[in-house]
Amino acid sequence: MSKTQRIETTMEVVRTLVGLLIAYGVALVILFAISDDPVYIVKQFILGPFSSPRRIGSIINLAIPFTICGLSMCFMYAVNRFNLVAEGIFMLSGCMVTFTALKLGGDVPAAVMLSILFVVGAVTGVAVAFIPAIMERKFNANVVVVSLMLNSIIAYLATWIMRYYMKDNTIAYIASQELPASAQMPRLFKTSFRIQSGIFVAVICVIVVALLFYKTSFGWKMRLVGENPEFATAVGLSAVGVSFAAQLIGGGVAGIAGATEMLSNYTRFQWTATTGHGFDGLLVAVLAKKNPALVPIGALFLAYVRIGADVVNSTGDIPKEFITVIQGIIILLVAAESFMSGTKNKMIFKAAEKEKAEKEKQEANTAA
Amino acid sequence: MSIDWVAFIADAIRLATPIVFAALAALICRQAGMFNMGIEGMILWSALGAVAFAHYSGSMWVGLLGAVLVGLGSGMIIAFASITGKADLYLTCIASNLAATGGTLFVMFVLTGERANTASVFRSYQIPNIDIPVIKDIPIIGKIISGQSLLTWIAVLSVFLVWVLLKKTKLGLRIRAVGENPHAAESVGISVPKVGYVSFGICGIMSGLSGAFLSMSFVTFFMKGMSNGRGYIGLSAQNMANGEPVGSALAGLLFGFSQELSTTMKNQTNFPTEFLEMIPYAATILALGITGMVAIRKRKKIEQGQTNTKEG
Amino acid sequence: MADEVLRMEHITKIYSNGFIANQDVTFGVGKNEIHALVGENGAGKTTLMKVLFGMEPSQEGKIFINGQEEKLQNPLHAISKGVGMVHQHFMLLPSLTVAENVTLGVEPTKGALYDFDRAVKETQEIADKYNFDIDARARVRDLSVGQMQKVEILKALIKGVKILIMDEPTAVLTPQETQELFEQLFILRDDGVSIIFISHKLEEVMHICSRVTVLRHGRSMGTYDTSELTEASLSKLMVGRDVVLKIEKEAPKLGKSVVSIRDLVKVDTTGKKVLDGISFDIREGEVVGIAGVEGNGQTELSQVLSGLGVFAGGTVELNGTPIKGKSVREIRDLGMAYIAEDRMVEGVAGNMSIKMNIVADRFTKKDFKKGLFMDAKKINDIADRYIRDFEIACDNRDQPVRMLSGGNIQKVVVAREFTSGANFLLACQPTRGIDVGTAEMIRKTIVRKAREEKVGALLISADLNEVLECSDRLLVMHKGKIVAAFPKANEVSEETLGEYMLGVKEMTAEEMEGLL
Repeated sequence: MSKTQRIETTMEVVRTLVGLLIAYGVALVILFAISDDPVYIVKQFILGPFSSPRRIGSIINLAIPFTICGLSMCFMYAVNRFNLVAEGIFMLSGCMVTFTALKLGGDVPAAVMLSILFVVGAVTGVAVAFIPAIMERKFNANVVVVSLMLNSIIAYLATWIMRYYMKDNTIAYIASQELPASAQMPRLFKTSFRIQSGIFVAVICVIVVALLFYKTSFGWKMRLVGENPEFATAVGLSAVGVSFAAQLIGGGVAGIAGATEMLSNYTRFQWTATTGHGFDGLLVAVLAKKNPALVPIGALFLAYVRIGADVVNSTGDIPKEFITVIQGIIILLVAAESFMSGTKNKMIFKAAEKEKAEKEKQEANTAA
Repeated sequence: MSIDWVAFIADAIRLATPIVFAALAALICRQAGMFNMGIEGMILWSALGAVAFAHYSGSMWVGLLGAVLVGLGSGMIIAFASITGKADLYLTCIASNLAATGGTLFVMFVLTGERANTASVFRSYQIPNIDIPVIKDIPIIGKIISGQSLLTWIAVLSVFLVWVLLKKTKLGLRIRAVGENPHAAESVGISVPKVGYVSFGICGIMSGLSGAFLSMSFVTFFMKGMSNGRGYIGLSAQNMANGEPVGSALAGLLFGFSQELSTTMKNQTNFPTEFLEMIPYAATILALGITGMVAIRKRKKIEQGQTNTKEG
Repeated sequence: MADEVLRMEHITKIYSNGFIANQDVTFGVGKNEIHALVGENGAGKTTLMKVLFGMEPSQEGKIFINGQEEKLQNPLHAISKGVGMVHQHFMLLPSLTVAENVTLGVEPTKGALYDFDRAVKETQEIADKYNFDIDARARVRDLSVGQMQKVEILKALIKGVKILIMDEPTAVLTPQETQELFEQLFILRDDGVSIIFISHKLEEVMHICSRVTVLRHGRSMGTYDTSELTEASLSKLMVGRDVVLKIEKEAPKLGKSVVSIRDLVKVDTTGKKVLDGISFDIREGEVVGIAGVEGNGQTELSQVLSGLGVFAGGTVELNGTPIKGKSVREIRDLGMAYIAEDRMVEGVAGNMSIKMNIVADRFTKKDFKKGLFMDAKKINDIADRYIRDFEIACDNRDQPVRMLSGGNIQKVVVAREFTSGANFLLACQPTRGIDVGTAEMIRKTIVRKAREEKVGALLISADLNEVLECSDRLLVMHKGKIVAAFPKANEVSEETLGEYMLGVKEMTAEEMEGLL
């Protein structure tokens, strides 16, 4: 039995790694095929992200929203709901946070200001996540479609709020007025290795969510309901209620992600479309196998690939969008049950055979 | 505010065309028991395929064929991942839509060097609009019916063909059988995976036509994210009609009207455009909610009805 | 027999989990014969027929059709050899018409189109030939259950069936429909179709079958001419104990009533009464056993008592409190523990650790919390203690449950349910498919808890050994009713029990008085 467990665990890791490797291979092949100077480009793609402190800092900065969004999707994924509303929440939260900060003005001390803003972000997330969750619960409406449509609506809503209530008419591009200084989260180092202080938010979120998942009764409930709703019901849990609550909390976390990104990486709200962070979060959650503690690893990997894409993008002949194709391939390979299941079963079968043979040999010996 | 109602209706029908195709694509998969959200991405790939094939072959018709082939191919990829690869269909579709958003941009860039649209590089081809000789002179009706795109007529024809396919052919019977009870279908020797692939194939063709309309009729170039939620709207449209072809098409028409309403109001009123842009999406959510509510009510009624007969 | 159309020889079928469903079964069916295949639930009848219909491969054995050896790979292949099967659960498409259902797989076409008119004609022709009164254009969902069954038979006939398997066809029929079915089966038989009739309704078997093959625990008990047998002798062949199990126990000291059920009625979605006016009590200190052929309301009874299913009428009280409308949580808090029938569905979450499965019913309680978090040490200690006490063979408490053997998974279930502190234990098929040692431990613990901890236990089991030896009082269920009650379970003979279980006999209310 212990052998089976070891094989399964190992194969899960190997499967994920092979999936990543294949996707990465596809990326390299694409680069090789279309670039004028393939060797240089491939080298840039692989090593470029590490070539300067600034770029390494960018990886970490990029991984911060990925991490928090990944945590948000862990909640949805843990109860088997592909509620993709995090995508819209991220943008709306950024918008609402800016709106609140501008209304409060520069006189509020930073500590109070930031506390209020994070609460606003989280509440925005919970409120928005409520819509698809309640529509599924009451009307059995498909949570994926509702959340995607809601994302489109949110994009317009946030743009409208910006244009009518926060627009700075003194600048040439469309953006809000500048955030008061007390609402801007500082950067940690003044050198070129510039990391956002949002990293603290991300670290706190990982710890809190991991504790919630593995140390609190709500986390246990969520995991039980996600794994086997019938069993959860039979031991006295409310499967519907738990999954509803998990979606709301996931929404709140996505709200915090949007607030963090806004306050530590921008001085003005300037998004006119959703940012893709919700989908990035899904990829990260899938890679991390809905384990919050592994989310930062998935996020860092994704950030590394993204920065690599940015680097080759800046050379001019490769658009960075090819990365979404790679992301799609990764999700598919990691999610496909059949992928490498043959190998796994063969290994388990072999181990079982071997164990049986050994046992028989032992029995023969004792008999003799 | 003065609205030219005749033009309004004609435009609404035009806007409904890609949605009707999307609804047909979605309902084929639904009849086979699969909730295919990947249509959004399939339409996007097809729209790009249409302009690319047309440009390189120099023929509009090859462009149309290309769109259909691209739709078919992208459908096969989803089918392979979910049927053979046993990946969760939701996750597969989300992943493939994601890949389509970036992938189309990437391919467009590689082919044209452009990042926003293909207009400046690819020659534009337009699927012809059909003027119908006598009818076009009839007031009102002539303006609505005549001058619509060939693809709009193909959409009307497709509604009929899909209806015939589902209700009148052996294949349609098998698709419905697999969708309703795969075990029953299997017990009489029908291959469930095979029917799944065929359904995805037909779904791909419909998605291809939807994409072709967007990039060769609605406008004559490909642009970033031009499917704009039509795949999901189509899904919602067929959901309103319980997967019936004619009803789904009518629901598609309704969504066409909601889009046209949003466009007209944008031109005619000072209402913030953002809220007008929301109309089609809000309509989709509303439709899902109402459809669900009606279904739940109906089920409750049946249950109560049974309680009554039991007591009586 | 010379004119044998089917012969299955030495069939052995072992499922991948090691369960031996058929062991060295041999039987043959003659031309123009209705041959009965009888046996209790789990005796291997359906499995044997699945092997014949190409749905399950057998490890050993040969199948001969008309003297020719055939390797039947899949249903399509079996159909082509003239084998047809009417499944216990209908394989129909309710939204389609009769003709569409019947011709599915062998659709007539006209050019590119499905020829519905010809399908109707073909269906009607066959229906008329065998005197089936059915409208080929009707939608299946509008039909009665009896008519649906005719559609199933027509499905087989249109494919030219020579050997027709009928898996418990009368289970869902009214007496009139049953009579009609029999007449049609006679017509089919006289037309050269051999019929394999699976049933445990002995009266029917004696009435329509010429020969009967009896299966018990996966083995054949032989083939007999029905004329040689009586219902009583047949039930004795079917219902029997292989190994006699003894559990030493003194007479129960009965306390107050734990569970009190009065006139309980439960109705299924089709409006059929699956529990029909059940009344009985379970008192402290006793084990009440329920015997019965599966599908006679036992599952529904356990659903009601566990709070997982609703009921239409009557009252159920647990420790004096009515449970109607209460959630599972509330019922558990009133003192219910539940060993579920299917342990992988309602008994455990396979991917979760042993530890989590053991405390799944109680980790939400205050004593398991320490501030905001779960009290990890306490939970670990409990898990370790139960792993030790119940001798769960595993690597450690964090191992996923699905990696354990069936017996050890069941030990995880009972480790949770036996220790929940409940005074009502609802045990459904508690030892199904597990090893002898674990089964014995579970049975003894159930009895011990009743005797020493004043628990009232309800034991629902298809294993006669188990109900006869563990129970104090024994009730028999048939068609959603309690048809017999015995004060001392271990003094009841299997033959007597068999007659009640199979509906040959039924006790009157007076006979059962004071025993409910």
